[in-house]
Amino acid sequence: MNAELRARVLSAAAAEESPTRAQVTRRNMFLSMVAAASGFAAFVVFAVFMSEGEMVRLGGDVAVQQHVERSILLVLMTAGGALAVAAAALWLAVLRGQSMLGRPGRWLLLGCVLIPIGLFAWKVGWSFVFGDPMMAWPGRSGLRCLSVSLLVALGPLLSFVAMRRSVPLHPALNGAAMGVAAGACAWVATDLWCPVAYVPHLLLGHVLPLVILACLGALLGRAMLTLRRGLQPTITGRRRSGPVAGSSQ
Amino acid sequence: MERYSHGEDAAFAELYDAIAPRLLGFLRKATRDDFAAEDLMQQTLLQIHRARGTFIPGARVMPWAFAIARRLIIDGARRRRVERRLFSDTSVDDAETYEPVGEMPTADDLVHARRLEQRVRERLDALPEVQRTAYLLLQQEGLSLKGAAEILGTSVSAVKLRAHRAYVALRAVLRETGEQS
Repeated sequence: MNAELRARVLSAAAAEESPTRAQVTRRNMFLSMVAAASGFAAFVVFAVFMSEGEMVRLGGDVAVQQHVERSILLVLMTAGGALAVAAAALWLAVLRGQSMLGRPGRWLLLGCVLIPIGLFAWKVGWSFVFGDPMMAWPGRSGLRCLSVSLLVALGPLLSFVAMRRSVPLHPALNGAAMGVAAGACAWVATDLWCPVAYVPHLLLGHVLPLVILACLGALLGRAMLTLRRGLQPTITGRRRSGPVAGSSQ
Repeated sequence: MERYSHGEDAAFAELYDAIAPRLLGFLRKATRDDFAAEDLMQQTLLQIHRARGTFIPGARVMPWAFAIARRLIIDGARRRRVERRLFSDTSVDDAETYEPVGEMPTADDLVHARRLEQRVRERLDALPEVQRTAYLLLQQEGLSLKGAAEILGTSVSAVKLRAHRAYVALRAVLRETGEQS
C-alpha cells in the first residue's frame, strides 16, 4: 500500500474531531427526550388553547340536540393499536437493525405505504364496530386535527433526522420513513383528542398529515442525511492530471 | 472498528490496514483514475471516522465502506456533470477523469489484447452505474449476491439481473472483437 496515502488519511482523521459511541449515545438520548418533550408539549399547548384543556375527548355535539359519545373501550382500542403501529414505525425508521446500512429500501417503502393504511384501517374498523363515531360531523372538517398532527410531529421528525446524520443508502426514503414514524406518534395523540371517525374527516385530518410528513421527511432526508454534508476537499497540493506518483497496485 | 468507535484512536490505523487495500482496489476499478480513487478512499475513510460513534457492535464494516464509496462516486459524477455544464473551460481536465489511459503496444498480440481491454472498459463505462457496480462487486471484489445487494440497497434478484445485463453487454464485446479478428 501507498505509505504516503496512509499517512495522509491518518493525519486527516487525527485532525478532525469525531464523537465516540458514548458521546453519540448521550446525544441520541438527549434527542429522544427532545423528541418526546416537544411532541408532548405541542399537544398540551394545543389542548389548552384549542380544546379547553381536554386531552382526551369522549364525545361532542354533532349538531343541535345531537350528542355523540365514544366509549373508553373504543378509545383504548384505537389509541392502543395506533401506539403499537407507532412503535413498529419507530423501530423501522429510527433504529438500523444489525447493519450499518440501515433497513433495506423495500422495507422502508413498504412501511411508508402500509403504516398510514394500517392506522386508518384500524381506526375505521374499531369505529365501525362501535358505530356512532362514524357519523358526519359538519363542524369538524379535520383541519384542527391536521394542524395538531403536524405540530406534534414536527419536533420528533427533526430529532430523528438529527440522530441519523448521514445515510449512505436511500437518504430520501429514510427521511420519508422518519416522517411517517413521527406522524404515527402524532396519530396516537390526535386519536386521544379527536372523537370523530367520519371517513372524510379521517382522510383530511389524520391521514393527510402522514403524507405531508413523509414528503417533508423525504426533503429533509435528501438535504440533511446525505454524505455530502460537511465533506471537505481532501487531497491538496496534488494535481489530478499529474503523474501517478506513489500509487501502488 | 469496535475499539475505534469506543474512542481508541490508534485503532484507526489497524482499520485502515484492514479495509484500505480492498477499498482502493474497488475504487480504482470503478474510476480508472488513481488520483480519483485515492481521493475517494480518503473521503470514504473520513466518513467512517466521522460516523464511528454510530457504529453498531457486530456490524460488518466492508459493506458499509463500499456503500459510502459508491455514494461518493455517484455524488462526484453528478457534481462533475453540473460543473461541466456550468464551466465549459474547465471541462477538459474533468472530462478526462475516469477515462482509461492507453499505452503504446509493443507486439501484435499485445495490440490485440490492449484493444480488447479498451473495448471492454469502454463498454463497462457505458453501462448504467448500477449494472457496472453490480458487476464490479460480484466479479472483481468477489462479494456474494447478498453482500452486493446490501451495498446497493436492493434485492438479490435485482443484483442478479443487473449483473446479468452487464455480462451480456461484455460478452457482446468479446463476440464482436472475435468476429473482427
